[in-house]
Amino acid sequence: MQALSPSKLLSRFGAAFMAIALDVGGMAVLLYQILRCLVPPRLDGMETWRNLYKVGVKSAPIVVVTAMLTGAIMVIQSGALVAQFDAFGLLGWGAAFATLREVGPIMIGLMFSGRVGANNTAELGTMKVTDQIDALRALAIDPITYLLVPRFIAIVLMMFLLTIVGDLTALVGGAYTGQVLLGVSPSLFASSVIEYITLEDLFNGLFKAFTFGIAIAVVSSHYGMTTSGGAVGVGRSVNNSVVASAVLIFVLDYFITSILH
Amino acid sequence: MIEFIDIHKAFGSKQVLRGVSLEVKKGEIMFIIGSSGAGKSVLVKHLVGLIRPDAGRVILDGVEVTNLTEEEYYPIRKRCAMVFQNSTLFDSMTLLDNVALPIRKHFKLSLAEARSEAKAKLALVNMEQHAERYPADFGDGMRKKVAIARALTLNPDFVIFDEPTTGIDPISANIVDRLIRDLSDRLGVTSIVVSHDLRSIFGVADRVAMLYKGQLVLDGPPSLYRETDNAIVQQFINGRPQGPMEV
Repeated sequence: MQALSPSKLLSRFGAAFMAIALDVGGMAVLLYQILRCLVPPRLDGMETWRNLYKVGVKSAPIVVVTAMLTGAIMVIQSGALVAQFDAFGLLGWGAAFATLREVGPIMIGLMFSGRVGANNTAELGTMKVTDQIDALRALAIDPITYLLVPRFIAIVLMMFLLTIVGDLTALVGGAYTGQVLLGVSPSLFASSVIEYITLEDLFNGLFKAFTFGIAIAVVSSHYGMTTSGGAVGVGRSVNNSVVASAVLIFVLDYFITSILH
Repeated sequence: MIEFIDIHKAFGSKQVLRGVSLEVKKGEIMFIIGSSGAGKSVLVKHLVGLIRPDAGRVILDGVEVTNLTEEEYYPIRKRCAMVFQNSTLFDSMTLLDNVALPIRKHFKLSLAEARSEAKAKLALVNMEQHAERYPADFGDGMRKKVAIARALTLNPDFVIFDEPTTGIDPISANIVDRLIRDLSDRLGVTSIVVSHDLRSIFGVADRVAMLYKGQLVLDGPPSLYRETDNAIVQQFINGRPQGPMEV
């Protein structure tokens, strides 16, 4: 393979930098436009309900299953150590601490970016390349208030609520696995959770879920609304959206953990 | 009256419009013809601000509407409806809800009232019996008829039709042509029709403008197109593969 000349290398670096700057700037402007429509609220009620149902109700089963297994995995992973030190009274604390603060929001965030975010990008991207967004504008209907604000509300709200559901389900999964594998009674598991877990642990995780929801909503909408190039372009946008959401979830998690720890 | 004055537009290095000037009088049916890529759709999208010119001006009833903000374009778009080339119905909605959407958003009507109004508009294009079905159930032609019904919901003064009869069977095409004629005759609606359909051009148009390589080649009544000795126009009208036009 032929080595790139310094000028070509610099030009590629510049192009990549510009592309990232355009995306970041585009997302910041989009977030501002969406927030501006929230105060006072300007959105379509029917479209909001449709999105709440699509994002929330339809995501609930997969969130419950994933969270249940996550709780179980937490207990399996810590089981050997707990048994070695005979620290069965700390099993609930260990599982709940990791789940509420970290694993719950991260797992559900990644699930959301794969399921809801990808779907959002694909739907908006298809509307963009088939001129449906322009058709809305031509009908004097603002695509931000009609399409994006309802999706933003649905994704942020449901990410937050489903994280609560997921946290609870993960604890149930952990308690059940603790009883089956280690013989730890659910009451001992629950008392360990109640004694050692604070509201701060819960709110820390919920704050993360809230910011992950904003990230997924903005990233997926941005890539959807900037799609071009037909079916290939829609595929590329969905790919970019899922990758960018996942990276942003971990970056946000790092900073929030550093600040709130 | 609509005036396009010396419109220039390029996309990247491709110059699409090179100083097009055109007037459309009130109540007139103006057809814009030309080969693919001549800049017909690009020109008409300037009227509703979906594309902004690099240079030139667009005047609507004496008011300049060239470079308004998105919000400032909304009143213009309520007066100037647009039917897109590929129908652009919303896939997630029934045909009835597609047509009811602008009514629901712009008139203070209940959902039931908006739907009833939408059904009347669907009847204009003989699609009311399919009101509860989805766009994916239909071919291009029927979707286009619904898009026309949707465009008429805001009772516009001007309608832009981008290839309204392309892909439609001859009977439906006749219905669309008659609808365009009726809009002009009964309601005084001004129509700009981008089309390749010679049957429509010579059957419905009051005036025809031909674009070639981003410039106006001929502007006049349909009869002029039969009489002119302009080689480009004659090649296009007669569909001859050989001639001065680069296709």
